[in-house]
Amino acid sequence: MLIELSGVSKIYNQGRANEVRALSEIDLTVEQGSMVCLKGPSGSGKSTLLAIIGCIFPPTSGRAAIAGRQLARLPDRFLTLHRRETIGFIFQRFNILPELTVLENITLPLLPLGVPPKERRHRAQELLERFGITHRALFPAGQISGGELQRVAIARALINNQPIILADEPTAHLDTALSREFMAIMQQLKTAGKTIVIASHDPMVFEHPAIDRTVVIKDGSIHVP
Amino acid sequence: MFLNPWSLALSLCSLVVLLLGAVAGKTAVRVLRFWEPGSDSTQQIRLENEIWLSSTLVAYGLGFQIITLILFVLAADEFCQVIVGAMCATGALLANPYGMPALLVKLFGVFFYGFWILLHQLDIRSEHYPLVRIKYLALLPLLPLLLLDATLQTLYIAGIKPDIITSCCAVVFGESTGGGTNLITGYSQQGLLTAFTGSILGLMVVGWGLLRRWQAWLAGVYTLGWLWFFGLSLVVITTVISSYVYAMPYHKCPFCILKPEYDYFGFGLYGALIPAAFFGASAAIAGLARGRAGLAGVVDRYQRLTVQLSLILLVIFSGLSFYHYLKYLISGGEG
Repeated sequence: MLIELSGVSKIYNQGRANEVRALSEIDLTVEQGSMVCLKGPSGSGKSTLLAIIGCIFPPTSGRAAIAGRQLARLPDRFLTLHRRETIGFIFQRFNILPELTVLENITLPLLPLGVPPKERRHRAQELLERFGITHRALFPAGQISGGELQRVAIARALINNQPIILADEPTAHLDTALSREFMAIMQQLKTAGKTIVIASHDPMVFEHPAIDRTVVIKDGSIHVP
Repeated sequence: MFLNPWSLALSLCSLVVLLLGAVAGKTAVRVLRFWEPGSDSTQQIRLENEIWLSSTLVAYGLGFQIITLILFVLAADEFCQVIVGAMCATGALLANPYGMPALLVKLFGVFFYGFWILLHQLDIRSEHYPLVRIKYLALLPLLPLLLLDATLQTLYIAGIKPDIITSCCAVVFGESTGGGTNLITGYSQQGLLTAFTGSILGLMVVGWGLLRRWQAWLAGVYTLGWLWFFGLSLVVITTVISSYVYAMPYHKCPFCILKPEYDYFGFGLYGALIPAAFFGASAAIAGLARGRAGLAGVVDRYQRLTVQLSLILLVIFSGLSFYHYLKYLISGGEG
C-alpha cells in the first residue's frame, strides 16, 4: 500500500466552543499506481482527508502513512523535504501566479530545492511539450486560457516527478470539455505509474472509467452504501 | 538605577527569557509524563506539534540570554560613570555584593545554555525526535539557573547607588595589598605564561590528533582541556595580557580592554575565547548522543566541526593574546 490511513480523526479547535469534528476513524488504503476518487458533498471532510494524505497537517489521532512512514508527523524540516519529493498538488483554482510566466510557474517548486536553472528549464520544457503548451512558455500565466491554465497546474504538480498526485475539486471551475481533458491527462499519468487521489463531487470525475475506486465521505466518515 | 536604558534592556531581556522558560517548563513536565514515541494517540500528536514551537522559543530565549552577558558587561562599564571610585566595569561590579556573582552566573550560564541549544540542534537533525525527553529533562535545571541569573541581576541593579564608594581595577587586580578587595594575587607571571603556552600547544596537539583519528577518550581529554584552559585564560588575560595591552605594568584589568581607548581589543579576545571554549568543550558532550536514532552521522560531523572551529579560534585567540607581548619584546618597549 502506498497510502495507508488507519483510525484517522481530525478535530479542528479541539476543546474550544467552536470545535468541529471533520473526520472520524477513517480507514483507507490506496495502492500504488491506482486512481481513487473521494466523493462527497461540500463540508463532508474530503479536503481535510486530502490534506492529511498530503501531509499538510497531521491527524488529531490515528495513523496516516505514506510508504509506511508517517510523513505528516516528521519534524518540520524533514516533512517539507519529503512532501516536496513525494506529493504533487493540483488545487481547485489552480493557484497559479498570474504575474509570472508559464515557465516560471511550472519551475517554481524546484526553486527551494536548489535545482540549477538549466535543469529547471529542461524539466519544464519536457512537460510543456507533453501537455502541448510550449508556445505559451513565456506568456504571463494571467493571459492564457482556462484549459492551458489547468495544464500548467498539472505540469507544476509533476515537475519534481512525485509518485503521488492529489487533486482537490480540480474540475469545479472547468467546463465539460476541459473536465474531460483533465481526466484524460490523469489517465495518462496513472498509466505512467502515478498514484492519484482526487476529491470531487463531479460525476465527470467519479464516473470516469480510469477511476479504480470511489470512496464516499459523509459527515467525516466513510459511507458504505 | 532601574530607570536607565541599560537596566531596562537587561531587565526586559530577563523577563522575556523567564516567561519563555516558564511556558517551556510546562511543556517539559508534559513531555516527561506523556512522551510516547510511536504512539498514534491525540496526546502524542499534540505534544509533537507543541515541542516544535516550544523548543524553538527556548533555543532563541537561551541564545538571547547568552547575549545578555555582553550587555551586562557593557552596562557595568556604563554604570561606573556614576559610582564614586569606579573607573571601569570592575568597580561597578564590586559596588555591591551581587555584581560579580551575577557576572559569573552569566559567564558559566553561557556554557549551560549553549549545551542545551546544542542538544536541540542535534535533536532536530533527526527524523525520530531522539533527544526530546533528554533535552526537556535538561531544561528543568536550567530554569532555576535562569531565575538565579535574573534575581542576581535585579539585586545588582537595585543595589547600585551613586553615593557608594568602590574600588578601581588597579586596586582589585593589582599586586599591592593595601586596602580594597584583591581578587587575583600570588600568581607568578612566568609560571602562568608557561602553563598558558603549554596548554595552547597541548590543545592543538590533541585537536590535531582527534581530526586525524577520532577516539572517545581523547575527545574527553579535549573537553576537559578546554574547561581548564578557559579558566586559565581568564586569569592570564587579567594578570599578564591586559598589562601589555595597556602598556602599564601595574594596570591589570579584564574589563578596561573592552574600552574604545584600547581599540575594543577585549571583544576580539573574549569573542575568540568563549566560543572556542564552548566548541572545544562540546566535542565530547555531543558524543553522548551518538547512539541515538539517526544521530550517528550528525554527531560525527558536528564533532569534527567543533574541533576545527575551536582550533581556528584558538589560533586567533593565541595570536591576539601574544600580539602586544611580542610587540613589546620586538620593539623593546612601548614603541
